[in-house]
Amino acid sequence: MDVLLALVVFPGGLFVIAASLAYEYVDRKLVARFQNRVGPRWFQPLADFIKLLVKEEIVPDGVNRGLFNGLPLAALAGALTAALYVPMAGLAPSWGFRGDLVATVYLMMMMTLCIGLAGANTQDRFSLVGAVRALTQLFSYEAPFLLALLGPAIAAGSWRISEVNGYAREHLWMIVTQPLGFVVALIGLMGKLELPPFDAPEAETEIVSGALTEYSGRGLAFFRLGRDIELLIGLTLISAFYLGGLGNPLQFLAKTLALLAVTAALQSLFARLRIDQTVGLWWKAGAVLALVQLLVLIALKFAGVQL
Amino acid sequence: MSTTDFSRIQAAVGNLAACTTPSESRMDLRADADHLLRAVTVFRGLGWGYLSAITGLDAPGGAGTEGAPAGADGHIGILYHFCQGPAVVTFRVEVPRDHATVPSISGVVPSAALFERELSEMLGIEVRGLPAGKRQFLSDDWPPGVYPLRKDFVPESAVAVAHSAPVIGSEEAPGTFIVPIGPQHPALKEPGHFEFSVDGEIITGASVRLGYVHRGIEKGAEDRSWVQALYLVERICGICSHIHATAYTLGVEALAALTVPPRAQAIRTIICELERIHSHLLWLGVAAHEAGFDTLFMFSWRDRETVMDLLESVTGNRVNYSVNLLGGVKCDIDAAAVDAIRRGVDYLEERSRHYLKIVTTDESFLRRTRGVGAISHEMSVRYGTVGPTARASGVTTDLRQAAPYAAYGQFPVEPIVSQACDQEARFVVRVKELFECYRLVREILDRLPGGDLAIPAPRKVPEGEAISRVEAPRGELFYYLRSTGGVKPDRVKVRTPSLCNWAAVVNVVVGQKLADIPVILAGIDPCFSCNDRSVTLRRSGRAGGSRAGGAAETWSWEDLRAYGIRYYGGSH
Repeated sequence: MDVLLALVVFPGGLFVIAASLAYEYVDRKLVARFQNRVGPRWFQPLADFIKLLVKEEIVPDGVNRGLFNGLPLAALAGALTAALYVPMAGLAPSWGFRGDLVATVYLMMMMTLCIGLAGANTQDRFSLVGAVRALTQLFSYEAPFLLALLGPAIAAGSWRISEVNGYAREHLWMIVTQPLGFVVALIGLMGKLELPPFDAPEAETEIVSGALTEYSGRGLAFFRLGRDIELLIGLTLISAFYLGGLGNPLQFLAKTLALLAVTAALQSLFARLRIDQTVGLWWKAGAVLALVQLLVLIALKFAGVQL
Repeated sequence: MSTTDFSRIQAAVGNLAACTTPSESRMDLRADADHLLRAVTVFRGLGWGYLSAITGLDAPGGAGTEGAPAGADGHIGILYHFCQGPAVVTFRVEVPRDHATVPSISGVVPSAALFERELSEMLGIEVRGLPAGKRQFLSDDWPPGVYPLRKDFVPESAVAVAHSAPVIGSEEAPGTFIVPIGPQHPALKEPGHFEFSVDGEIITGASVRLGYVHRGIEKGAEDRSWVQALYLVERICGICSHIHATAYTLGVEALAALTVPPRAQAIRTIICELERIHSHLLWLGVAAHEAGFDTLFMFSWRDRETVMDLLESVTGNRVNYSVNLLGGVKCDIDAAAVDAIRRGVDYLEERSRHYLKIVTTDESFLRRTRGVGAISHEMSVRYGTVGPTARASGVTTDLRQAAPYAAYGQFPVEPIVSQACDQEARFVVRVKELFECYRLVREILDRLPGGDLAIPAPRKVPEGEAISRVEAPRGELFYYLRSTGGVKPDRVKVRTPSLCNWAAVVNVVVGQKLADIPVILAGIDPCFSCNDRSVTLRRSGRAGGSRAGGAAETWSWEDLRAYGIRYYGGSH
């Protein structure tokens, strides 16, 4: 019974969905205000979701129907599963095992893989270009992002999210001790979610909607929801690791929303990067920064410095 | 200046074409079709001017348009207008209607290709040597052999023929991959169709298809009175409506030899400049959006509302201002309006300084504009680009200075030129032009002449022809008007600036990255329509709720704006 409740209502399932829609609203509203627009009303993400659910789903010619319908579900399932391993709402994760950090990162990666496959599955030229770009971008930010999350794990001496979270709560905020890692993790999250300026894979003025161009109804709704959930998970992970851990819902709200405000500001500050610029940025700056951070960390660890 | 130029031209091509000088700034060269190419080649060898437009004139039966002996079936006159400063040199060729064929001059003048394509589609003139290509202006189901600009064209003859919709990629060579953009695409605010063949992210080939919003306005003008045609041409463009009306009006006034009161000319010029401000600010936003910089888009469009409000308060309209009359203007600028314009211009000047700083210093934005889509000066001249696009490539032509019209003679303009040639230069040129606009508007307001707003214009316009060239926000706008002395124009030829800029763009994108295509396309500011809005609404009970009383059905601007804010603010 408890298991079912955890899966369907809290902290999995319904709660995550509701919270992620709320975070989408905050994100959109903040970006709108930064751009001097009015922005959406509070229920707009939910309304969008419902509207897409009831719309006719058009399956284009020449696609593998099983993949076309299955990929959005797989992406959403990956995101929902990942939500179970993080300290959602500041409470202890409902599941956990040694090494669940790595599992969570890979579950989050499923989204991008599914989007890439979804784009490559159709014959649409915009989708194909979008899919290629999404996967290219994946290979550029994924390694630095993972390295940036490993930093706190190494400091804590555990690859279990709940233990890193516990460690973070009892020590100096790791944003102070590992600033480079924090920057890489936050920007990596924006890359993962294809937020501006890393939105080349779905650049509307070039390739309409990228890999998801052919998706119309349910599939699009699931992909979008999955992305919202990833935003929530990513913010939770980064604030648990770098912002002194999450111990209660109040801390959770304050820390994740503060992070969200920063990402919203970053989204409105820059022009879109071309895909070659994104890749260059990650390999020339992101990967190097994350590696330097990690090497310093390991060296200090060997030297026996308490972090 | 032009007199010595003309004698130089006469000396060079006099043996190939008969020279006349109908006015101080114009020279006509009559050549027959066989000698045209040689005459143009010799003429180009002088390095004089650029090809501004090609006009086709149909004269069925009766006397030829050029006074040549009438053939059995009449003649078609073809006019090649070359311009430099205020001077226009026109090569005039006349061909029989039943055997209308001329050589293509696109080998000598590459920018002629699109004009010649238009000539062959609209007037059925066979242009020998014009590279084969797809239709550009008429729709795919237009029947072959029906030419809309011929005088004997009847709409009933345009029966759609069966055609197969082109399949994207059907002509793909093995190993190429074509990305279509348009006719409907988020990067395009107006329909046009581009096919880019790509190798990964690199463009290896490009082609363009125009004509999706061809509305037959040139033909329509022939069936309206001189006054009605004014309102028709104003609707050619939703952004630069006033400049079309101005070009037309100036042309008709020249034909009818009307002397327009100086106050009217000054007001026309002020509206021209306000329109340029609104057009450039609109462009700034769109171009930033194409590069994924939506914050700049939102900000510049917010500020653009200032000038839109000014235009509306002065003229009563946001899009088709209807300021011009034949012989003057319709609306005055009173002391209150002068104050409002000054305040608005002050605010916009301050904002534009900020935008100039952004487009020249913002690191992420410069990564998308610096060195992107560079049209070299040589290429710009070769393909005949005009306006800010050309000035960003070091071409100094600005008709407001080179061939002053309206009140620009009394209020000189300094052309803004950049040698950088890339997308950043196009941003810099347009934003700097804004400062020139602000200065000009202030100066005209300082010295606004008094007097009448308009003089009466005759219903019939004397026989003759006039060329009217003005500097639209996008570049040189060319009008050719011909009257046979009646109440209707015989021919209204319009050559819009965007048409001149396509050739350079299609050539410059090859080798660029796919992601830069929307940026480069936006760089020439292709013309698109903007939405109109109505301020007269039937009130529904709730919508006007906060207003006291209930009799008024007309909302003021403030009411509408307040309603919009309430509606989107979520308070209902």
